[in-house]
Amino acid sequence: MPAIYTVDPRSGVPLYLQLIEQIKRAIALGMLAPGEQLPTVKALALELTLNPNTVARVYRELERDGVIDTSPGRGSFVRTDGAGVEARRAVADVARAAFEVAVREAKSLGLSREETHELMARTIARWYETELE
Amino acid sequence: MNGPLISLDGLTKRYGNVTAVDDVSLDVAAGSICGLLGPNGAGKTTTFKCLLGFAKPSAGRIAIEGAPLTPATFETLAYVPERASLYDNLTIADHLTLYRRSYKHYDDVRAHELLALFSLDPKQKAKRLSKGMRTAAALTLAFSIRPRVLILDEPSSGLDPVHQRHVLDLMIDAAANGASVLFSSHQVGQVERAADSVAIMKKGKLIVSSVIDDLKSGEKVIEAVFAGPIPDLGDLASDPRVVRLEQNGSMLRAVTRDDSDGIAARIFALHPKSIRTIDLNLEEIFMNAVSEVTL
Repeated sequence: MPAIYTVDPRSGVPLYLQLIEQIKRAIALGMLAPGEQLPTVKALALELTLNPNTVARVYRELERDGVIDTSPGRGSFVRTDGAGVEARRAVADVARAAFEVAVREAKSLGLSREETHELMARTIARWYETELE
Repeated sequence: MNGPLISLDGLTKRYGNVTAVDDVSLDVAAGSICGLLGPNGAGKTTTFKCLLGFAKPSAGRIAIEGAPLTPATFETLAYVPERASLYDNLTIADHLTLYRRSYKHYDDVRAHELLALFSLDPKQKAKRLSKGMRTAAALTLAFSIRPRVLILDEPSSGLDPVHQRHVLDLMIDAAANGASVLFSSHQVGQVERAADSVAIMKKGKLIVSSVIDDLKSGEKVIEAVFAGPIPDLGDLASDPRVVRLEQNGSMLRAVTRDDSDGIAARIFALHPKSIRTIDLNLEEIFMNAVSEVTL
């Protein structure tokens, strides 16, 4: 199985946050199904060449967010109740943040409200059009 | 045991008038990897020498697995110096034989796995090895004793990128099995990847010691552009969350140590035309920490 997570250690975004986002994205996209087992901390740490404590922190936070269940001795599993909802919400958060950055950038570059609107409408038309095919 | 496997408390080492290591306190917990960064001459190697009993501290305490150093400490402690020390006239296989006799936990299967990993020929004499191969041989020996404490001084010097990655994986594997690893490196990217915590030394002093992700969460640059001249900033410069303020025309840059959102909110209240938060990677944080600029 190819690695489905890509984290960038050289980024200024903390690694554990990058990996949390990636796992939630994988759940929202159905690459990780409800009930599916996640790799052990050690296996994922070695697969991504990342610190095991960082990966352990990711699993702890995902458990706290209600996305996965971890039971000692058995391992970590995607929750069958609500993990999808939580993951979808998290992915929407990522999209919202990206959107906000784009709009803020347009404003700080001096584009008017109308120009920004126009730009957004054209971008939406382009991407959602392609998806219909 | 739950205490740190490596512990330095107020470690100080003076050579005459020169203080090479100045009141350094640092713990590395079981299962943790700490990357030690610092410019040349910052005191990293001297710290290692004290930690291993090769140099006598002028002050402070050292504990490995919760106890002062004894000969027994070295049964579970592996050290790889920057210049790998091998017996020139012995082959790699001879070195393995020495280790088999000397170390209780020596694992011959593991040793041969590592030789294969680093593409080393056990029949080669140490004096015939290139710099990178010497490092690889020293690492093979170090990891073959199943150490609980690993102290590695520039463990990837001379290695190609593939073997460098193997070294990181070996450290990660050891930590996942409960070992403590303290390693120095000039390659910030390696520390960023494999370590969970970082220690930065400068002129003998420990100037940063933190979980890397926490450091990245706190240390940001907030960049604001104002329509006209920068308004009165009040006591922003003395806010403990601010490391440094830079002003250039209508642009204000604030380097934060923690709670960058709080500082961004303070600046936003001054009605800038635009404001953005820039994430800093470990290299930038390192450069900020060791550069001469101080308030």
